[in-house]
This record gives sequence, structure tokens and C-alpha cells, in this order.
Amino acid sequence: MLTSATTLVERRAVLTAAFGTHPYEAAWASEALFFVRAEGPHPELTIQPQVSPDGIDWLDRGDQVTLRADRDLVDVEMARFGTWVRLLIEGATQDAPATVLVRLELKG
Amino acid sequence: MALIVHERGLEKFRPLEKVLVHDDFDLGFNGWLDLTPNFVREGFQSQPSQLDLGSWGPSMISAAPMRFAAGHGSMEGNYSLKLATRPKAGPYEQPPVNGSMSTVIKRLSRLDDDHRYLQLEAWYSYTPEQDRWGTGEEDIRAFGMWFDVQDETCRWQPGVRYVNSVNGTKVKRWQYFHTSEDITREQWTGSPEGWESPGIDAIWCGERYPDGSADGFQWIPDGDQKLVYNESPDKLNWLYMRMLVDLETREYVEFQSMGRTFDLRGLPTTPSLPYDGITGLINPVFFIETDTDRRVFLYLDSVVYSTGREPNA
Repeated sequence: MLTSATTLVERRAVLTAAFGTHPYEAAWASEALFFVRAEGPHPELTIQPQVSPDGIDWLDRGDQVTLRADRDLVDVEMARFGTWVRLLIEGATQDAPATVLVRLELKG
Repeated sequence: MALIVHERGLEKFRPLEKVLVHDDFDLGFNGWLDLTPNFVREGFQSQPSQLDLGSWGPSMISAAPMRFAAGHGSMEGNYSLKLATRPKAGPYEQPPVNGSMSTVIKRLSRLDDDHRYLQLEAWYSYTPEQDRWGTGEEDIRAFGMWFDVQDETCRWQPGVRYVNSVNGTKVKRWQYFHTSEDITREQWTGSPEGWESPGIDAIWCGERYPDGSADGFQWIPDGDQKLVYNESPDKLNWLYMRMLVDLETREYVEFQSMGRTFDLRGLPTTPSLPYDGITGLINPVFFIETDTDRRVFLYLDSVVYSTGREPNA
């Protein structure tokens, strides 16, 4: 049987600028699936999965995903990562903020 | 004479008669999870509070990777349960800002009325993120552990807190959870309508004072202790702590940290009125708080929670 775990790395975070989610260690897992859920009106958001050697400096890994302004839920898959994972979410501004919940599902 | 045989791993603890929890995080989260408020209001909102109690940094299963050192793994095995704050803090005297803490809880219930004593033990380590130069020891504000208990007549939360640093000045003294009777609900929660009773959720309630004291805590007598921090944020040492509580008198009995044991017999906890829906609840909780705009981490290698008719096995 595999081990699995789910967590909310962001719980109603209010974004007004480019935003990196909480640096998360996932070395024990071999699959990661993020869900980004927006609450209320929001601009189009671009979501880039990222990896890091230390939880501090980040590199893009895999394809960017878009959460359109007329949608409120999108998934972002990551396979083949080392230890650290996060999402870089861009598109929110002071004038057009976004409130997001970011769920992370790990399995391995 | 009874012969007690412990499973491998338990020999570095001192459990009471009945071991209810022996969690080594090499096997995953083991039912520990981030402490969150109750999202039961319209629109799945939580109770009104002065703080965003859903903001604390999420915990994770960690191999303790470091920026310059090799990964530490854990005290035994690869993984520990890591509490990680967000890089945000306000002055100590202010209520904790959103994200400045990380907390984990295991939700359990009382089993045996004959078991008068309750004990929580852990092997742990702590360090800040190595995102800047320096030793970083002064950037960890406080950490600790408590039990959330509700019996037939009271809810009460016996616990200990290590005040490591206050606004960048090292303090390094232990406290126990206790709130004096003259603290009002308004002083405790910042609002007369606050839902936390005085004595409940002391880590973010009550007023705090510049020397590290706070409405929710009392200093443990002779409780100064220099814990092992090591010399760099990328070096961990594993430390032991153990708290023993009397369920019948609702008093502390003993607290051990590394090789020192503090006699707490007769020191009171803070019984409050019971809350709906949680009679019989006993939840162990761990927490850490950052002192500056920097993530700080508490690593739990393993945790034992035990009960017994006597205060020792």
C-alpha cells in the first residue's frame, strides 16, 4: 500500500502580487498534485510549478498552467522532483487581488 | 517484579503504564495534522477571531535537508515531522501575526478513568531557515507542547513553552501554561465576544510583556536552561522533553528537559468551562513561533503519549 498525505499549503491567502506558496518538502513522495481553488472574483492567474535545492532559490519545472478568470479550480501535476516543491502564482495585483486555497496531495 | 519489554524505539522514552501513542514519523504523519479553526460559519468561514487561525505554516514530513550541510535525516531513520512557520513576525508584545506560528495536533479521546496520570514525551530539534548569514538562534521566539483536555466539568490545557528569544534578545527560560483568575475574556481575546475562554489557546491569546512573560504563562521555578542549538542553522541536535500531569487534581507533576527534571507538583492548570461537543477529548499539540521575518522549524523525531495509575511505569 502506498503512503499518501494531503495538506493545504495556503488557506485563503490573499494575493496582490506574484506569490510563491509555502516551501514544502516532498522527498518521501514520488507524485505531487496541487489544486488551486480561487474564492470570489479574481484575474487570470498563471501557475508555475517549481523546485528548489534549499527551499530558498527556485527553478521552474514543468509546464505553466492557467486559471482563467471565469474558472475557480485547476490542478497542477508534478512528477520527477527532488525535495522541495511549490507553485509560483502570478497575475494578481493590488487592484485585482485573488483569494486562493492551495491543496497539495502527495503519494509515494 | 514486573518485566517490561518495550518495542524497538521506545527505550529512549519513559512511558507510563499504557502507551497510547508512539509515533515515529518515518512512517508518515501518523494522524498528526495542522491545527485549524472550525470552518462552520456561512461560506465556510470560521469563528471571528483577532487572528487568522488558518494562516499558520503547514507541517511536513522532512528529511531535514540543509543548505550547506548534508541532509540530517532524523534521530532514528530518515524522516521527522517538521513544523514550519511562514517568514512573518511582529513585536513580541503584539498578538502573533498571521503565519508566525506552526502547530500540529493529534485528535484523541480519554480511554480509562483509572488512569490518573498523563504524560507527553518527544525527541525534537529546532532551527531557522538558513536564508541569511549568522547563527540565527535569536530568531526563534518560542516552542513547546501541551495537552488540550476536556473532562466532565472543565476544559484545561496543561503545557510548557520555551521562551528562546524576545524581539531578538535571548531569554532561554521555560514556562508552564497558567492564566491567573483576574484575566478577563476581553483581555484574553482582545474582544468581549471572543470565543476563547481565559486559559484556552494560550499560545496566541492574552497579553505579552517585554521580558517574555505573558498572561497565559508562568515561569517554571529555576527554569533557565541553555538548550543545545549548535552553531549554525544547518546543524541539528536531537533533544528530549517530557511533561507529566495529574488528571485528578488538574495539576502539573513534573517536567523534564534534556537531563534536568523540574518538580512541578502542586502547580495549577487553568480549568475553564467546558465547550460543546468535546467532553472526553485529550489532544496533544506542538507549536513553534518565529521572532522575526524568517521561517523557523521544529522537528519531531518521535512522540510518545502515555497514561497510568502511577506517575511512573
